[in-house]
Amino acid sequence: MKKMPFLIGLLLLIHLGLHAQTVKGRVIDDSTNIGLSDASIAISGTPRGTTSSPDGSFTITLPTDGKKHNLLISHSGFETLTVAVTSTTEALSFRLKRTGKALEDVVVIGYQTVRRRDVLASVSSVSSRQLKDIPLNSAEESLAGRLAGVQVTGSEGSPNAQVLIRVRGGGSITQDNSPLYIVDGIQLDNALSTISIQDIESIDVLKDAASTSIYGARGANGVVIITTKGGRNTGGRTIITYNGFVGFSKLEKQLPVQSPYDYMYYQFERAKQTGDSSGITPYGYKWDTVQKYKNVNPYNWQNKVLNRTAFQQTHNVSVTGGNEQTQYNLSVSDARQDGIMLGSDYDRKLLAFRFDHNASANLKIGFNARYNNTIIDGAGTSSTGSSALNFLRQVLRYRPFIVPGQTDASFDQNYYAETNANSLSLVNPVLLNNATYRKSFNNIIDLNAYANYTFTKYLSFRSTFGYDNNSLRTDAFDDTLTNNSKNNGASLPIADINTMVNSTIDNTNVFTFNNSAMSGRFKEKNNITLIVGEETYQTHAKGGYVETRYFPLGTTSTAALGNMNLGTPPNSSLIEPKPTTTDVSTSLLSFFTRLTYGYDRKYLAYLSFRADGSSLFSSENRWGYFPAATAAWRISEENFMSKLTWVNDLKLRLSYGAAGNNRISPYLYSPQFNTNTQYGLNEQLVTGFAPASLSNPNLKWETTVSRNIGLDGTLFNNRFGFTVDLYSNKTHDLLVNTPIPTSAGYTSQLQNVGSTTNKGIEVQLTGSIIQNRSFNWTANFNISFNQNKITSLGQQKSYLQNSGWAGSSNPADYIVQVGQPVGSMYGLLTDGYYKTSDFNYNPATRVYTLKAGQPNDASITASTPMPGSLKYKGLNGDTVITAADRTVIGHAQPKFFGGLGQQFSYKGFDLSIFINFQYGNKVYNYNKLEFSSGYTPGASLLGIMKDRWHTVDNNGNNLESLVNGQVVGASPDSLNALNKGAKYWIPLVGSSATSFTPQSWAVEDASFIRINNITLGYSLPASLVKKMKLSRFRIYGTVNNVAVITGYSGYDPEVNTRRDTPVTPGVDYSAYPRSRSFIAGVNVTF
Amino acid sequence: MQNKTFKLTILVSLLLLVAGACKKYLQPAAVSSFSPDYVFSNVPNAQKAVLGAYQDLAGDNGYGIRISMYFPYDNDEMIGIHQIGDNDRGDIAHYNANAGNGQLNNPWSQLYQGIERANVCIYYIPRMDLYSKGTDQQVKELKRLYGESLTLRAQYYFELIRNWGDVPAQFVPAAMMDNLFQAKTDRDTIYNHLLNDLQLAESLVPWRTDIAALGDLPDERITLGAVKGLRARIALNRGGYSLRRASSSYGQVMARPADYLTYYKIAHDECSDLMARRDEHTLNASFQGLFKDNIDAHTLDKAGEVMFQVAMAGGAGSYDSKLGYYDGVKVNASQTGNSAIGVLATYYYLFDSTDARRDVTCAAYEVNKDLTTLALHPPTTLVEAKFRRDWISNPSQMTSSAQYYGINWPILRFSDILLMYAETDNELNGGASATAVSAFEEVRKRGYGSHASAIGVTPTDHDGFFRAIVKERSLEFGGEGMRKFDLIRWNLLGQRLTEAKADLTAMSKRNGTFSGIYANNTLDFSKLPDSLIYSKASTTPTGLILRNSLYAPRNGLLPATGDSMVVWTSKKIADVLMSSGSSNGYAFYFKANHSELLPIPQSALDANYNLKQDYGY
Repeated sequence: MKKMPFLIGLLLLIHLGLHAQTVKGRVIDDSTNIGLSDASIAISGTPRGTTSSPDGSFTITLPTDGKKHNLLISHSGFETLTVAVTSTTEALSFRLKRTGKALEDVVVIGYQTVRRRDVLASVSSVSSRQLKDIPLNSAEESLAGRLAGVQVTGSEGSPNAQVLIRVRGGGSITQDNSPLYIVDGIQLDNALSTISIQDIESIDVLKDAASTSIYGARGANGVVIITTKGGRNTGGRTIITYNGFVGFSKLEKQLPVQSPYDYMYYQFERAKQTGDSSGITPYGYKWDTVQKYKNVNPYNWQNKVLNRTAFQQTHNVSVTGGNEQTQYNLSVSDARQDGIMLGSDYDRKLLAFRFDHNASANLKIGFNARYNNTIIDGAGTSSTGSSALNFLRQVLRYRPFIVPGQTDASFDQNYYAETNANSLSLVNPVLLNNATYRKSFNNIIDLNAYANYTFTKYLSFRSTFGYDNNSLRTDAFDDTLTNNSKNNGASLPIADINTMVNSTIDNTNVFTFNNSAMSGRFKEKNNITLIVGEETYQTHAKGGYVETRYFPLGTTSTAALGNMNLGTPPNSSLIEPKPTTTDVSTSLLSFFTRLTYGYDRKYLAYLSFRADGSSLFSSENRWGYFPAATAAWRISEENFMSKLTWVNDLKLRLSYGAAGNNRISPYLYSPQFNTNTQYGLNEQLVTGFAPASLSNPNLKWETTVSRNIGLDGTLFNNRFGFTVDLYSNKTHDLLVNTPIPTSAGYTSQLQNVGSTTNKGIEVQLTGSIIQNRSFNWTANFNISFNQNKITSLGQQKSYLQNSGWAGSSNPADYIVQVGQPVGSMYGLLTDGYYKTSDFNYNPATRVYTLKAGQPNDASITASTPMPGSLKYKGLNGDTVITAADRTVIGHAQPKFFGGLGQQFSYKGFDLSIFINFQYGNKVYNYNKLEFSSGYTPGASLLGIMKDRWHTVDNNGNNLESLVNGQVVGASPDSLNALNKGAKYWIPLVGSSATSFTPQSWAVEDASFIRINNITLGYSLPASLVKKMKLSRFRIYGTVNNVAVITGYSGYDPEVNTRRDTPVTPGVDYSAYPRSRSFIAGVNVTF
Repeated sequence: MQNKTFKLTILVSLLLLVAGACKKYLQPAAVSSFSPDYVFSNVPNAQKAVLGAYQDLAGDNGYGIRISMYFPYDNDEMIGIHQIGDNDRGDIAHYNANAGNGQLNNPWSQLYQGIERANVCIYYIPRMDLYSKGTDQQVKELKRLYGESLTLRAQYYFELIRNWGDVPAQFVPAAMMDNLFQAKTDRDTIYNHLLNDLQLAESLVPWRTDIAALGDLPDERITLGAVKGLRARIALNRGGYSLRRASSSYGQVMARPADYLTYYKIAHDECSDLMARRDEHTLNASFQGLFKDNIDAHTLDKAGEVMFQVAMAGGAGSYDSKLGYYDGVKVNASQTGNSAIGVLATYYYLFDSTDARRDVTCAAYEVNKDLTTLALHPPTTLVEAKFRRDWISNPSQMTSSAQYYGINWPILRFSDILLMYAETDNELNGGASATAVSAFEEVRKRGYGSHASAIGVTPTDHDGFFRAIVKERSLEFGGEGMRKFDLIRWNLLGQRLTEAKADLTAMSKRNGTFSGIYANNTLDFSKLPDSLIYSKASTTPTGLILRNSLYAPRNGLLPATGDSMVVWTSKKIADVLMSSGSSNGYAFYFKANHSELLPIPQSALDANYNLKQDYGY
């Protein structure tokens, strides 16, 4: 819990004339000489006040009573300045100093507030000042590229997309690697997705064990500390601020699709190749007919379904103020955002209230309440299930023209039936989208309160209590056109309602001893703080699921979801599924202590220790103990540095510590039976009991030991700052969902096995490159290098993992292997296609036979190699391509990533440009792999397949075919002439296992530089604003996701659609495409 | 002083209170799952645990489709229609499976899951208080549950062994194993264990007619008949041929133990016991009725002929079967049935013209959803049809576009008891006794139905009777997932596949007769009709009226007005032998002393470094 900034005033006594009534002035950051925007200027004892413009200037009118008045100039993060004035005619400079003494801004690290100069942790921070220029609704997205050592990856482009945040790579292999979130001192899962950017004061990410160890439980993956905006001492003045923006989004990039002629050409060719003419017969299986499609108008379904002009608007009003005793902040936000996909939208309402009050000299109390209501419409494009449940294929593979007699809203029963291979069953994507109704309702209530009691000048006590209730309800309705209805509902509508209520209670009690109030020589040199505390944390999850099938034809989604008993099985062999419920509690009890010791301002040390008892482990292994130690040397305070006046601050940090992770499901340590089995005695399903999983009584804490060495410095009158960190983390006793011999009756068991390491370097640079009265240019840059490696897997050396995008019978596409990083892609090496020169040709019989030594991949592709067939590279020495020729074909983790933010201001104008980048990671482009295959007759291919190897020549003759197992074809010369410049092979037509074999062609470099946003703002001059009876008025325009520079051929290289396990990152399959948005906004302070 | 003691006491008691509260606080009760103490505390809960062990029989990865309809093909009767090189069911059928085949791993895992669930029940049920101290009825019911668990485990292991040979074996719950990385156990050792288990189960499980006394309803659960029948079957396999590991004393060959007759004797005795209890299990009066009016009609047969079956229901991949969707007659409309088990023309003609079982086992027609439009299928597209859409009733599924119809899979029928009795009797006595002949003929007569007098003379010499058994089991059990494994235990699989290929070639040329084991069948292929003329006037599929005989030349007969004609015996009959195309590739890659077993799935090998691939895979 961040204390209110120290409000120690430093008076600048200025004698002023008595006659003028208006004060003009400029508020300046004392450390950088730059004008400070958004400072509050109030006349104490009156309701009058104003706010400074971006260059820091303001105008205020004094009452004409001739009395002396105090100007109260405040800004968060700075000391409040109280200046006695009467009136003046001159412009004055008011220099505000950063809170406390230089660098004495406070951060909350481990249950206590620490001056930033004394921070020994490796920490990355971002403040509201850096976030204010980003008109985004997702606080998570706004962090991408801003924090060294923190990787922020959006999973897809939908308005509510999940964002993964990883601190220093993440140590776990199969368990959740999310950091721990602490909001105003309270643990809160996924906090960033539930808080509005406008309400965030600062975000500090603790990265090394020295700082996370005190959080013990779950601190191993880093700790994200979020401080929300509180009120401040404005001398009683109420500051009302309105922030609003409106805008629209459009699809960022289209995938190339076939022209009608390309489509017909391929369908004709496919029929000739396979003998299955079902894809072409409906249009006439004749070459002449195919030619006519050169003149047919193309129809790109992406434009219809995924590229609507999606409007959005966000409004935020905050009311803040306070006096010495009481401060408050109230913020209300309303955000509505349409998705670019038809029928998808997002509506969020937020209310946050924070209140701090000094009840007496010894007692301070506070209360914080947040309410969040989010409603999301639309099914999106992706599902973590197999390909049949994903939507994008319906858009990209539907034939690219409108058949005569049909419109873009027609349902074509025959086309649906023709394309049922691979469970595709193409339905007009507009109709299918309409037939798939999804709506989720999320209500979150967070309440927390604290009391801080000071017993003596040395000892204080603080108790914090938090309650969070997160209730989610998801309604789904699948009408008759959907796969679900067809396969599970006898082609009648199906509806289901899924509810989940998660509540947590968190209570901490901390005693703090501090010797700063001592007097005498001991205190001069020795600075001691000791905290001792206790924490309890309980979670309770209550869920329910009701599914009703067999609604009468024509039932609407609303009618079905409002009357779940309306469905009736059409015959007695069909049974309604039974409702299911879950009710799971966990608890955690912790004790912790930390000693902070500083000597002579030069030497600092922390020692901390935490013990956690978790209900997730058996009583023998329940407690985990996490010690940590840190030492720092403030070099700049040494005498020998005194001559280097350009060095303002230089600090060397060393730390070593352990933190724990217990993110596993409850009761895994003892045998448990669940009720997920049923057996159909006498045609009625009877529920049975079966073991839920193979219990493991030896489960214990996963521990990360981290070592860190860091150097912080500020130079040249604080204009430039840098932080460099080197770290080496080793996670051992990994909680891994380990594959076990299936002969045990289970496929996996959660075990503490193996270890991983993460090593890396992080650099953060900040600077005020140009600063003068009218023009300022500041920049901040960060870059992180992380190397992840699995160093042990216990008894095993490796195991394979299937991301599951194409179902469980597709070969596994990831390998977890000692010596490799997590997220290693595994498959065959694609080697283009077989050339005619790979074969011996007998002109007499026209038979092609593979030359000796050429690899034969028939057992993988399920087709006899012929000129133009997909070719794989053999690795194991023989010429037969099998599973033994698989190898690691890519790594999903980037070599480095980072961001560059630049802010410019010139008079009333301000400009910010933010760029983030990552390099060296790979993505599985499975859209490309599936949409280029010919598995399903009648399904359209990606446009790139125009450059495939053709077997049908310009006169409609098929030049190659398989006759009784032999490849018979035209001469190599004529085949080569037809296929000059062919880039791709003959599309595969086998089953999913053969057509969608994981291979290196699908693995693409996903390095990118993203111009994330550009914002140009203009603030009206102070004099004009005053006439409008406002204290500040700024308008701005922003483009989000301006451009992505990348070689990736899919929609966007920042994608991750298979997130059930951290082992399968970087899968791009059916992700909701990203959009580019254009936004205009206004900030008004009344 | 006293004050201090008082304070101390209060402090200590407070600490104790806190410590106690801590322990409780850190052990929240499980609400949505149950501990073994709870599950095995009373009879209804224990019964639910056993039902959990039953579930692994059902569904897509059990007998719902993969084990029942992918693994038993190709054999000398039928072909799994799917192409070679699909790395899928086609490769399994045509003996081209490799370890990475996607259809192997899930059934493998599910069978072991069933074993584990059974192991848990086998461990806990006899240790329940009620097992020894309960009321008479409670004890009897728990004994039944214990015996059922033993029987289920035996069935799961049996299925594993006949598909994969030697496999890892464990007979206690996985949680009690010191080491889960089990190497293979010799199949004979596992079989011995199962035979003992089933002997124990015989003392625990009641007869079919005795379950009412326990308060149990008649349903698909295991009764004593199933236990004894399964024991006979396992004994017969224990004494039969199987492909041995290269490292075994036999080498990598098909071999059977020297003392195989010991096990034939066990089978013989079990069958003999069962044949003495016709009040419990006997043949259903009608062969067609068993399938059409019982199994396909979701009705238990009153005669108890189906002694052990997998209960299927619920319309989902975990509990139901695709019987009648994956196999069965084609419904001539889009997306309604795969007809994916093809009948070889030679098998169709193995049936005598008067054998009523032919048109139950094979279908030569397709139907429309409303049964009005019918078409005759030539011998090139005959399908297995014991489970067929147009027979499904109670309720009917003709118009459903779903894929699961709740059809139970019969594991064991009483006709198998009679034929196992006949077979073992012949082996033990070096020839067929009168009871053996009568058991054999009982099956045959029922199959012939109204033509029972046409069954012919049964040979009684050892070899002649054996050949008759080989043929009769084919006629009786076609499409019931039995043939491939029967041929393996007789070491006839390779031979019969070769003979079938020769017969298909001969028949396609309309020249010659059956060869090899069926050489005494006198059907002259040259006399088969080149075309068939039929009338579509009838409204029921089986009433399709043929104008000329299936077994005689057409002799120039031409279709009358309204008749249709299809090409019947033609060159195309041998097309199944070609290596390309989705209904060809018949047994194309079969290799003796290799193909009799499946490769261990790759992911099972990946997860267990002690498990090794054998048999040349």
